[in-house]
Amino acid sequence: MRIALDGVSVRFGPRTVLDAVSVELTERRIGVIGANGSGKSTFARLLNGLVLPSAGTVLVGADDTATDARRIRRRVGFVFQNPDNQIVLPLVEEDLAFGLRNTGVPRKEIPGRVREQLADLGIAALAGRPSHALSGGEKQLVALAAVLVMRPETVVFDEPTTLLDLRNRNRLRAVIAALPQQAVVLTHDLGLLDGFDRVLVLDAGRIAYDGPPRTAVPWYVAHHS
Amino acid sequence: MRMSLYVPGTSPLHRVPAGWKLAVLLLCGVAVFLTRSVTLLGPAAGLALVLLLTVRAPREQLARQLRGPLWVLAAVVAVAALSESGHAALVVGLRLVILLLTALSVTLTTRTSELQGVLEVMLRPLDRAGLVNAPAVALAVSLALRFIPEVFQQFQEIREAQAARGLRGSPLALVVPLVIRVLRSAEDIAAAIDARCYPPARSRHPDRDDRLSGKAPG
Amino acid sequence: MTVRTRRPMSTQDLVLIALFCAVIVALGLLPPVSIAVIPVPVTLQTLGVMLAGAVLGPVRGAGACALVVLLTVLGLPVLSGGRGGLGVIPGPTGGYLLGWIPGAFVTGWLVKRFAVRAGGRLTSLAAHFAACLVGGLLVVYAVGVPWTSMTTGLGIGKAALGAAYFAIGDTLKAAVAAAVAHHVRRSYPIEPR
Repeated sequence: MRIALDGVSVRFGPRTVLDAVSVELTERRIGVIGANGSGKSTFARLLNGLVLPSAGTVLVGADDTATDARRIRRRVGFVFQNPDNQIVLPLVEEDLAFGLRNTGVPRKEIPGRVREQLADLGIAALAGRPSHALSGGEKQLVALAAVLVMRPETVVFDEPTTLLDLRNRNRLRAVIAALPQQAVVLTHDLGLLDGFDRVLVLDAGRIAYDGPPRTAVPWYVAHHS
Repeated sequence: MRMSLYVPGTSPLHRVPAGWKLAVLLLCGVAVFLTRSVTLLGPAAGLALVLLLTVRAPREQLARQLRGPLWVLAAVVAVAALSESGHAALVVGLRLVILLLTALSVTLTTRTSELQGVLEVMLRPLDRAGLVNAPAVALAVSLALRFIPEVFQQFQEIREAQAARGLRGSPLALVVPLVIRVLRSAEDIAAAIDARCYPPARSRHPDRDDRLSGKAPG
Repeated sequence: MTVRTRRPMSTQDLVLIALFCAVIVALGLLPPVSIAVIPVPVTLQTLGVMLAGAVLGPVRGAGACALVVLLTVLGLPVLSGGRGGLGVIPGPTGGYLLGWIPGAFVTGWLVKRFAVRAGGRLTSLAAHFAACLVGGLLVVYAVGVPWTSMTTGLGIGKAALGAAYFAIGDTLKAAVAAAVAHHVRRSYPIEPR
């Protein structure tokens, strides 16, 4: 899907977080890297209308996030950094059903979709488990499943591996690599960008570098150490 | 942590639909205040006790639910006996016993999800009249159930951290960080809920969004 | 969206209500603390009620308490000592539970009206304390005492005597709640609603 930012600035009070960013995202795998405070998180939240631009426009397909956020959110899924805050219902299967119910999927279809999605990620056994009793890795997979079950065309990941141990990090990398959808991945985990089509480096609210990982990652490392 | 008082079972009371149980309970609550006759209230209290025993709840569960209320009951009966009459004390005591035991029987035999179902049905007319946002109430209940164990766990983490720093027992050192953590996570949780298309499209105009094709609705 | 109130409740308001409900429940799950003056251990649950009003404001604070009442009625063991169920409401102490709702509202309203604007540290603390005391104690008892009297047939005076027994603990809790709300307001201010 084509996501286009045109002259987008975001200001919170006196602070400018993003400064006149224009970029068009069409590739299947897009990485976004940058130091803390570079505006990464705000950039990601612009893509599904969780943050609206103070100036400029964000178009997702033909929809404007400022006016069509509802429709955009069912097309652009968002996986947050901390799954503790993303899993919102008491049981795993209830949490997966949440987004489906909100988007008006017929009630009869919901249990089947939920089971199928859990099985897809190899976590079918978690269906009836209470959310608070899951391990960290399980939580991240459940949070991802709850987004994928809505069948978004694009998935935005906000530092998905930061809170995971090595084993779960590798597992999540494999899951992201296998996604058929377009994915925009914000990360500090540079290894995650292997095989990506494009990497944006954000610095102080601007895109400082834009290119394939083979040149973008060395550029980022050279400029930030 | 067990988050429900429901005791699985197959007793007659388990099989009665939740709506009926609640309706009878409500009537019972009104009825006990309509009479002062011990010959009526006495057998009724006995019946309530039998009802509770048919549920076959574990003894420790019964004890936990009854201990507190029985202390209050004892105090109330004692005061009534001293200040008014033995008859008055008996009437008050029997009324409270009936209310306590019947309500407990219903609580023990009805799943939270069934009660939530009854709640939804009761809220429906209010929702239609625009007085209550029923989906929001339902979500609030689920969110609370999801986050009670989480908040309790955070509590214990903070308590351990404070104990390690020698701040044991200071309620300020315990509660201030907890409240701040809660306020912080609320922002993320709300964003996560919005990102998954909450609030649901109202069935009155089913998914307006879908019928507009790619044009901003102005 | 349907037009209902001047300011519709946002998702974040809903989340705050649910989370403070969880705080109230969690405070009730903690083991009771003994305070020297009172023979019975007191739980910190009503501290949570005062905090809901003082931190969140009247509408959301009352909402958090209403949610605790709803969970109680739904048969969940959310009250101190793991109590819950329908029987709590028609019982002699049911009025105190119901009184939490207007209690948190009044606390929140007073905080919003006076405490937020208080300049100095001491005035702010005093204003928060007064708000917690009026809402969390006076208003709660104003519902609880007649309720006890009604369900038990005891006179108002005798029911009030029972309440006086808990007043010392609740006054101490109001002081703690005031200090917590004051600190929270300084390090993480949210607008009371």
